[in-house]
Amino acid sequence: MAINNKEVTTTEEQAKVRQKTRQILKRFGRKQGNLVPILQKVQGKLGYLPREAMLEIAKFLSIPGIDVYSVITFYNQFRLNPPGKHSIRVCLGTACHMKGGYITLDAWKRRLGIDRGETTPDREFDLDSVACVGCCVMAPVTVVDAKPQGKVEPTKVDGLLLAFEIEREKKS
Amino acid sequence: MKTISLTIDGKRISANEGEKLLWVALGNGIYIPNLCGLQDNSQPPAACRLCFVEVEGKEKPVTACTETVTDGMVIDTRGGKALRLARTAFELLMSSQQVDCAHCAKNGSCELQQIAHHLNIKLKSNRFRRILRELPIDDSSSVFTYDPNKCVLCGRCVWVCRERLGIGAIGFAYRGFQRVVTTFAGEAFADSKCQECGECVRVCPCGALVFKNDKTEEEQT
Amino acid sequence: MKVAELSAITSAFQEIKNRAELRWQTLYDSGKPVIMVGTATCGRAAGALEVLKAIRDELKRQNLDFPVIEVGCLGHCYAEPLVIISKPEYPPICYGRVNPVIAERLVKEFVIGDNPCLEFVLGALEENDLVPSFSDFPRAKYEKKVILKNCGQIDPKEIDHYIAKGGYSSLVKALHIPPEQIIEELKRSGLRGRGGAGFPTGRKWEVCCRAVGEPKYVICNGDEGDPGAFMDRVVLESDPHSIIEGMIIAGYTVGARYGYIYVRAEYPLAVEHVQIALRQARRLNLLGKNILGSDFSFDIRLFQGSGAFVCGEETALIASLEGKPGIPYYRPPYPAVKGLYGKPTLFNNVKTFAYVRHIINDGAECFASIGDERSKGTAVFALAGKVVNTGLAEVPMGTTLRQVIFDVGSGIPGGKHFKAVQIGGPSGGCLPESALDLPIDFDSLSDAGAMMGSGGMVVLDEDDCMVEIARYFLEFTQSESCGKCTFCRLGTKQMLEILNDITQGRGRIDDIDMLSQLAEDVIAGSLCGLGKTAPNPVLTTLRYFRDEYEAHIKEGRCPALMCRDLIAYYIIPEKCERSCDACVGTCTVEAITTNKKRIKVIDQEKCVKCGTCLDACPPQYNAVIKLSPPSEVPS
Repeated sequence: MAINNKEVTTTEEQAKVRQKTRQILKRFGRKQGNLVPILQKVQGKLGYLPREAMLEIAKFLSIPGIDVYSVITFYNQFRLNPPGKHSIRVCLGTACHMKGGYITLDAWKRRLGIDRGETTPDREFDLDSVACVGCCVMAPVTVVDAKPQGKVEPTKVDGLLLAFEIEREKKS
Repeated sequence: MKTISLTIDGKRISANEGEKLLWVALGNGIYIPNLCGLQDNSQPPAACRLCFVEVEGKEKPVTACTETVTDGMVIDTRGGKALRLARTAFELLMSSQQVDCAHCAKNGSCELQQIAHHLNIKLKSNRFRRILRELPIDDSSSVFTYDPNKCVLCGRCVWVCRERLGIGAIGFAYRGFQRVVTTFAGEAFADSKCQECGECVRVCPCGALVFKNDKTEEEQT
Repeated sequence: MKVAELSAITSAFQEIKNRAELRWQTLYDSGKPVIMVGTATCGRAAGALEVLKAIRDELKRQNLDFPVIEVGCLGHCYAEPLVIISKPEYPPICYGRVNPVIAERLVKEFVIGDNPCLEFVLGALEENDLVPSFSDFPRAKYEKKVILKNCGQIDPKEIDHYIAKGGYSSLVKALHIPPEQIIEELKRSGLRGRGGAGFPTGRKWEVCCRAVGEPKYVICNGDEGDPGAFMDRVVLESDPHSIIEGMIIAGYTVGARYGYIYVRAEYPLAVEHVQIALRQARRLNLLGKNILGSDFSFDIRLFQGSGAFVCGEETALIASLEGKPGIPYYRPPYPAVKGLYGKPTLFNNVKTFAYVRHIINDGAECFASIGDERSKGTAVFALAGKVVNTGLAEVPMGTTLRQVIFDVGSGIPGGKHFKAVQIGGPSGGCLPESALDLPIDFDSLSDAGAMMGSGGMVVLDEDDCMVEIARYFLEFTQSESCGKCTFCRLGTKQMLEILNDITQGRGRIDDIDMLSQLAEDVIAGSLCGLGKTAPNPVLTTLRYFRDEYEAHIKEGRCPALMCRDLIAYYIIPEKCERSCDACVGTCTVEAITTNKKRIKVIDQEKCVKCGTCLDACPPQYNAVIKLSPPSEVPS
């Protein structure tokens, strides 16, 4: 269960993470009650929570590193690994599930070639499920880059991916 | 402090007001199965769900670790409802537990063996499906070995390391079925801030944390 | 408070109110049409932002500066995106299923022209002679909007809209009343907590009021984690001030200094709207130090949850606020006595706080006159699943399930048959047709094995497998269990394994007994509410749909044709049309081939059972069917 630290390898990169983390910490008081908001802000900036950031936060709040690690691994929101450029979150709330959300998830898995909680090797997409985004009436829902998309069935998965591809081709 | 009297399994016992039932019973030689409690921890985790007893006047069994004794209380540690819950809890624990007493250094001093004996059930119960996790064993410490597959997640080691010793080298990570006792970022004990005092090993009820110089039965023979 | 102080409060607020009313009035008195677009999350998922842009673009092209206002959710989520146009001499008209093309037309033809485009009308907001109004809908007979009244009718990002509609006057009224009297009023109203357990709100406030410790806290539990429930999201997004007002009154009553609104991270829009609302309330001194010049100070912070269902449990929520994993601890002491940082902490659900201002304003009797004997007021439900009118419904307590599903919700779409309603989320249960005439209140549903819970209602039809729904909920609670206590961590895991086996055709006949025994023990043995209620979906499906379990186990057959391991897709050769290959093209894994007779055939080895071919097959042929057990497929 050791974490993947391939991302931050050089001391230079480590220093950068530490520096960015410290920058965010300036805005917070040194009490443990701020831990979750701090982690949210740091992840918002870095995309995930590297080891160096965790240590920096622990030092700031004067708590053992394990306490930061406990919180990160407890909540769904926090990531120990870098995300992809685009985030795909398949809603598996009751309504979505009964309307085939799991089939949609399978379609994403098949098309992206990755499992839940993983990132594609080219760092384009990361895939995960989400408990319920409260858009039950649009079931099955997939949240693509923070935007909930309604009625995402396997064919719409292909359509959404095609849109990304066209977008990419336009840029290049 | 006021002294009160209560009855456990027909035996009259006096206790200090405010004490928790579990420690009163144990202190008077009445065994109630338990794993997660430590007497100096004033906030019982109430996590292992093994210390169920029946209290006269209460419809449902209660956990002895959270129940404050009151004057005139009548307790039955052997009631059918309480034992059913304790047995199910224990069998659930054992269904996800690696059982290998012959190769375990805790054989003979293991609290799981004591509980199985007390509840009159086998350690390797087949009532439930066996669902094991295959986690790597950490052998890096020079003093002890940690086998998470044998851990019952009682949390005694975590509490002692943090509250009694003020070190905080270990804690819980992940949640649900994935919950595990581990070091910061899951690194090896040798690389962690563990000071190898071995207090965690002393409170571990089973074979998850064992001293390296403790020989297993097989090694002794 | 002193009399002099009270009159100062009143006049300070009067000034704010006058300003707000003036702003609201000018909006409508300017003679310009006012366009409202519902941009709550449900609207956005249906494309409301694109509609909003189309309207703004068109107005710009036409060089018009008519007000375009973003509002919350009206509750008619089935018809999203919604646009409301108020034009002088017309009633306010609500249009449904608007897309950018329709939006452009509405601007051209109705906003500028004189054609109200009746073909897109959903309903008018007021009674009139031109178009049917919402009050003419059959559902209007059963609905009673109290806390949803403002939703979809005001801009949630404008505190003035809320104040113009009567907002914050309850707070001013409350500041004139001694706390004990507010508690009495709440008690008399019969308000019970809307988070699920239904604890009397007045009693809770009283306990917290009397509890000793400083500072006290007020926490609004907006960690709406039940999958299939979105009532709290709608209120947070569409009318955040109603919650804030309730919390300030609570703070005054129990003597608290600080409040927290705990909102799930999965609700980014709710977070945004609450943040804006708090800022605005602070600016007008309705929040913060010496509220409206009184000696009462109270401030609220927003706290974003991080994705853990168990944090809906109050002790877990407290742990998470304190910067720890959301792991529940043993109660008592209850949070009202010893909560956040060990201080007295008042906990209520989003909706509970939203009711407070109505009770203070209209009086306890008014609230108590709604509902039935044991449960007072209204109940808000999120209708989802196999029901025509998905969305929100607010009905008096005591309304029957049948009225909500068939009259408000207009029944099951596609001519299918009702099978069950899942109510109360992972802690609730599945109730069958025979329970449809039960009145919905706190008590009658629990007698039937379910619970009202927070208000999520997922309707299931003949295509839904009851074993699968039980398995789904167990998978959910199991993955959301904090893992602290044995029964919840391992008991639900064992139950899930059994259900996995049954739905995958590996069930054993003694599994049913094992499931019920285990369910009883998990309920009796678990530490917190999550574990104590997790087996409910299993117990209710076992109680009402045991035959489905047996079909899975004994015959390897899924009667609803849902469990993928127990079904196969098959194309009936006699029905398949030679000239059509709709299914071939849509198959996502190229499992469909055309044989020599030009009839399509599914390769069962390759098929992933996604059902796309069944949807693609034109209705005039209807050649694709599902079979269970898979051995039914002719070789």
